[in-house]
Amino acid sequence: MHDRTSITRRAALGVLAAAGVGYAVFGPRGSRDPLARGRVQLTYWEKWTGQEALAMQRLVDKFNQSQDRIYVRYLSMTMIEQKAMVAIAGGSPPDIIGLYNKSLPLFAESKAILPLAELAAKHNLTRETYADAIWRLCNVHVRDADSKLGPPQLYGLPNTCSTMALYYNRRLLVEAGYDESVVPTSISQLDALAEEFTIIDASKPGAGRFVRLGFTPSEPGWWPHVWAPHFGGSLYDRDTDTATAASEACVRAYEWVQTYPDKLGVQDVMSFQSGLGGYNSAEQPLILGRVAMCLHGPFLVNVIKQFKPDFPFGVAPFPCEWRAEEGTPPTGLVETDVLVIPSNCKHPAEAMEFIAFTQQQANTEQLCIDHAKPSPLATCSPDYYARHPNPYIGVHEAIARSPRGFGYPETRVWNEYENLFRRTFERDIWQLSLRAREALTNVQTAAQSAIDLARERRRLRA
Amino acid sequence: MSTRRHEDSVRTGLLWISPWLLGFTLFLLTPLAMSVYYSLSDYPVLERPVFIGLANYKRLFTDPTFWIVLKNTLIFSLVFVPASTLLALGLAALLNKELPGWKFARAIIVLPTLVPAAAAAMAWLWLLNSDAGLINRLLSPLLAVFNLAAPAWLQSRFWAMPAIIIVSLWQVGQSVLIYQAALREVPESLQEAAELDGLTGLRRFWHVTLPMISPVVLFNVVIGIIGAMQVFVFPFIMTNGGPGTATYFYSMYLYDNAFLFGPQMGYACAMAWVQMMMVGALTWLLFRMSRKKVHYRGGGA
Repeated sequence: MHDRTSITRRAALGVLAAAGVGYAVFGPRGSRDPLARGRVQLTYWEKWTGQEALAMQRLVDKFNQSQDRIYVRYLSMTMIEQKAMVAIAGGSPPDIIGLYNKSLPLFAESKAILPLAELAAKHNLTRETYADAIWRLCNVHVRDADSKLGPPQLYGLPNTCSTMALYYNRRLLVEAGYDESVVPTSISQLDALAEEFTIIDASKPGAGRFVRLGFTPSEPGWWPHVWAPHFGGSLYDRDTDTATAASEACVRAYEWVQTYPDKLGVQDVMSFQSGLGGYNSAEQPLILGRVAMCLHGPFLVNVIKQFKPDFPFGVAPFPCEWRAEEGTPPTGLVETDVLVIPSNCKHPAEAMEFIAFTQQQANTEQLCIDHAKPSPLATCSPDYYARHPNPYIGVHEAIARSPRGFGYPETRVWNEYENLFRRTFERDIWQLSLRAREALTNVQTAAQSAIDLARERRRLRA
Repeated sequence: MSTRRHEDSVRTGLLWISPWLLGFTLFLLTPLAMSVYYSLSDYPVLERPVFIGLANYKRLFTDPTFWIVLKNTLIFSLVFVPASTLLALGLAALLNKELPGWKFARAIIVLPTLVPAAAAAMAWLWLLNSDAGLINRLLSPLLAVFNLAAPAWLQSRFWAMPAIIIVSLWQVGQSVLIYQAALREVPESLQEAAELDGLTGLRRFWHVTLPMISPVVLFNVVIGIIGAMQVFVFPFIMTNGGPGTATYFYSMYLYDNAFLFGPQMGYACAMAWVQMMMVGALTWLLFRMSRKKVHYRGGGA
């Protein structure tokens, strides 16, 4: 007779068998899609959600139906950089990842993603395929152990891209007696128009007195680091690997930014700002008429189409400190979404085959139309312009092709630098607790420490 | 029980808890040990860790952001822990009086603890909207009498921290339940004896009730300190640490270092161990200070 507390062999086997059955029934499995059977299965992680994710899903479905060797399983997720990092470090990465170009220096320098030039060339994807500025953003100058800059190497291929431009309410221009094609060609003109379009109800206190603001650098405020190049400055010098946030041009840019809270009142403009509606809503401030002009990306047109299709908007390159003459190349922030292949990917050739499919002109153009973004390709078909939801997409594409188009600083510490910059912008620059020069000197010092730490990190691994 | 049967029994017990032991070793003990090693290494996650001794710990002392987030976290804890204790204790005492509608009131107080923090944060974002939010809609007419404007709660560097504290206090319901249970455990005879001795109201609460529930107060304060030192969800969703660094807390900076900045997992691990030591030291200090103040039934202290 067994002790009541002892375990019998049968019971132990029973427990193990139950666990096995549970694993078989509920455990992980491959795709249930019958299309997947007998094919090489790839996993593709992408950062888009909502309509943008669905557009990519359609392209993935098209690829899966276009051939019978490869099946791509598509997963849409947020915080992709962090998840990709953990998956690659853990040795179980997806085969394809959709990152932002700003992530490339970190992933490339860490050898976490594959250089793509050779694989891409097999599919005739070369420099000539892409718009110049976009090609530059996809190539990374990997630094060696002594932090010396290496030659540019291709680490990602673009699927959609964005450039930032000035969006304005065309009706207001007409009402103010301007030709609706007249747009500010310099910062001083922008300031003058902003003042003209601002409506203040003096009978109301605080933020309530702003019926409409002509312009504020804090709307939508997603790119606080964007202003320096519009004054001829830059936050980072790649050649010397130094932070240059406190350069004269940068200081001038943020002194200009400070003129807005200075003249409107810090507390009042903050309250006004917090009362503005969300980006993806019928209360988006531009279409609601709460602001007359703002810096925005081409995707704003999706919000306009959805919530106020008859809104009379116009788009122009965001002005610079200097006056833009006719034919001057436009200035603006350029960013691109890139597809990368992790270095420990199991099927790099197949992954590149899928990426090459997405790069075919018809497919890229369809995706860009669905996302309402510019095409990263060197040339676009007439049909693309005819079907694109943003009638001003040409303005965005001109910025992507302009020598004055600028990207994020090409450094592996950009996330930290950007965080430092944003916090200083919110606390010291926008809320006027420090003057621009002092605030930017603080950012520059802190950012340089991060850059120096990255140098030390390279040296440690030499 | 014979030695053999005892050994059998132990073996059986170990076998049955082996899944837990395995999980504990794999998912707690090993990561703990690895985090000690990483805290002594430069570890950017995507590259191998390189041993650098105590450099990460030394760097903490010269990192200005570390001191900012530490100061913010201590300020939050210093306000939140006493405020939540007083609020929870006050609400529990009130509920204990069983006034009409007390069960409904208790449900209302406890309900916020059932709301996921992320959902609550989104709701509070709207409530605290300085232009269109309900709170400022109610406050504005009152403040207008004194010619004052309602605060820009989450945009102002002065009001963002109080806003996060208010939102955190909203989820005080769990402590209220614990205090209420403790208050019900105070023997009625003691209360009556105190009343006969002329102790009423606050004095009776101070001299009789509070000593009787002091172990529960200590428990809640310790849990409160541990929670406050790790405050993350509300500021992460509602302000992302801003404006500027006004609500940038220790755990947020730790997270940023671990997954965003570089990343610097080694530095983040060092921060985590320092955080654990601080919480440990505070808890130890609290137990030391409360030795003579906390009364355990049966005489233990």
